Amino acid sequence: MRGRREAEASLYRELTPMTRIKPFFILILICIYPCICAADFSHATQKHRAACNTCHKITFPDINDYPSHDACVSCHRRDFFRGARPPICSVCHSKTSPRDEARLPFRNPVSKLQFEIEFPHDKHQDVIALLRFAHAPQGYNNCTICHASRTAMFKSAPTGHSSCFNCHWKSQQPVAGNCNGCHQLVTPHTAKEAPLRISPKFIHDGGGEKKQHVAECTTCHINITKAALLHGLKPDVPITACTECHNKDGLRQDLGKELAAIDKDRNFTCVYCHAPNVGSLDPPERHYLIAERPPIKRKDVK
Amino acid sequence: MRLVCFALLLMVTVALAQNQTGVLRLRVRVKLDDNSPLRGLARKRFFLIPGTLEQNRALLDAIERQPLTSRDCYYQKIGASAALIDWLKEGDCESVYCRAVEKDFVTGPKAVPEFVNAFTASQKEYRNDETARQWVTTNLTPDLRDGFYRDRQRALQALLKQAPAVQSVMTDRNGTAYFTDLGPGTYVLSNLIPTELGQTLVTWNCEVQVKSGDLATEKPYLVSNRKERLVKCVGVEKPKPVCTAN
Repeated sequence: MRGRREAEASLYRELTPMTRIKPFFILILICIYPCICAADFSHATQKHRAACNTCHKITFPDINDYPSHDACVSCHRRDFFRGARPPICSVCHSKTSPRDEARLPFRNPVSKLQFEIEFPHDKHQDVIALLRFAHAPQGYNNCTICHASRTAMFKSAPTGHSSCFNCHWKSQQPVAGNCNGCHQLVTPHTAKEAPLRISPKFIHDGGGEKKQHVAECTTCHINITKAALLHGLKPDVPITACTECHNKDGLRQDLGKELAAIDKDRNFTCVYCHAPNVGSLDPPERHYLIAERPPIKRKDVK
Repeated sequence: MRLVCFALLLMVTVALAQNQTGVLRLRVRVKLDDNSPLRGLARKRFFLIPGTLEQNRALLDAIERQPLTSRDCYYQKIGASAALIDWLKEGDCESVYCRAVEKDFVTGPKAVPEFVNAFTASQKEYRNDETARQWVTTNLTPDLRDGFYRDRQRALQALLKQAPAVQSVMTDRNGTAYFTDLGPGTYVLSNLIPTELGQTLVTWNCEVQVKSGDLATEKPYLVSNRKERLVKCVGVEKPKPVCTAN
C-alpha cells in the first residue's frame, strides 16, 4: 500500500507544472463555454438566410433580444434535448439550465460581427444637419443627435435601433422590418477598435478654459459630408482646423513654438496637443508647411 | 533584365503618381443683397466634376435646362399649411428632419396643423407623449416629410449620370469645405442644383485647377455670388420662379 502511495507521489512530482494546472484550464473552458458557443451561430448558412423576421421580431422602440425558442425549435428540436446541458442553449443563454432563463446581452459583445452597417453620413448630413449654428439652439438637429458626448474628449456612437427607428420606423426606408437596408452580411470579423486619437488633448465640448471649441463637427472632420459608407470612414482632421486659431500671428503660436523647440532639442516632446507616444515622433511635413518653417528630422538636430 | 527594370520603374512611377493628390479648400461667401455683408454660405453641397467646362458642356446644358422649383412653391403645390412653410423656412430646411418638432409646434397657438395630426396619430400608436413627439415624422405623409428633398435628389441623380466619379462636400457654417484626395488636373466646381438665396437662385459652374501636393494649407478658393476681390468663382443669379397655382 505504502509502495503504491510513494509511486503516486513520485508520479505527481514528475508532472510538469503545465500538466498540474490543466484541470484549471478545463474549468475555465467550461465557464466560458457559453460565450464560445454563442459565436458559433452563423447567419451565413443556407438555412439561416431566410427573411430576418422569420426569427427576429421587430419590437418597439428597439430590437434588443434574441429570437424566441420557436425560431430554433422547428429545425433544432433534437438539439434542445441533447444531454443535461444542451450546447444549443448557450447560443442565447448565459446558463444552460432549464431553471435559468438569463440571456447573454444582445448582441453578444464577445461574438464576432457577422454584419456590417451601411450608414450614409452624406445623406444624413443633407437632411438632418442643415443648420446654420455653431452650437445648435435646442431643438435643431445636428451630429449630436447620434454622437452625444461620452467624455469631454470623446463622442459616442449609436448602439441601439431606437436611434434610427425614430425616423425609419415604418415609412421612411429602410424601415424597421427592412433589416438588409442597414445590415449587410459579411465574413465574420472582430469589431475594430475606436479610431486612434492622435491629438487626445483636444476637448470637444467647449474646449479649454476659454471654451472656444465651438465650431460645428464638420468644420474639422472634413470628410464626413462626403462619406456614403461607414466602411473605411476616418475622422480626418486637417492641421488647418487647429492652426486657424493655434498658429495665427498676433493670436497664438502653439504649433510654431513647439516646432522651434525641436530645432533646439531633438528630444523635445510636443505636448500641447499630443500624448508622448505621438509627441516624440517627427512632426509631419504639413505642420512645418503651415508654420512656414523648413521641415527637419529629429536625427538631424545637433 | 532591362524589361524587369522598366517594369519596376513604371510601377514606382505609378505608385508615386497615385500618392500625388491635392486638396481644394472652398470658402463660399455670399451677399443676400447689395447692402448686406458677405457671409458664409452654410450647409450647401458642392460637386467637383473631372474635366474642363468644355468637356462637361452636355452636363452644363442639362443644369441650365432643368426645371426649377423653390421650396415654397413645392410645399404650396402639395397644399402644405403656411405654418409648415414658415417652420421650414425658419431653419432653412429642405425636409422636416432638419430640426426637432418641439412641443410648441404640436400643441398651442404656434402649432403646425400637419404636426398636430401626426402627433395625434403617434400618441395612439406609441402611447407616450414624449415618444409621440420625437417620432412624429413617422406619421407624416412622404410628400410633406421630405418630398422636396427627394425631388431635388432625383434631379441630382439624373445629372450625376452624366458625370461619373464626382466628389461632393457640404459647406460648414462659415461656408468652408474641403475636397480631398484629388488627382491633379482640371475640374468643374458646381452646385448642380441652384441654391436659394433670398429672392434668387444661384448656380455656380467654374473651372478649377488642382495641382499635386497638399494644398490644404494654401489660401482657400473663394466662391461668391458677387464679383469681388479674390473671388475666383462667381455664381449666376436668376430670380426665383413665381409659384403657379395648384
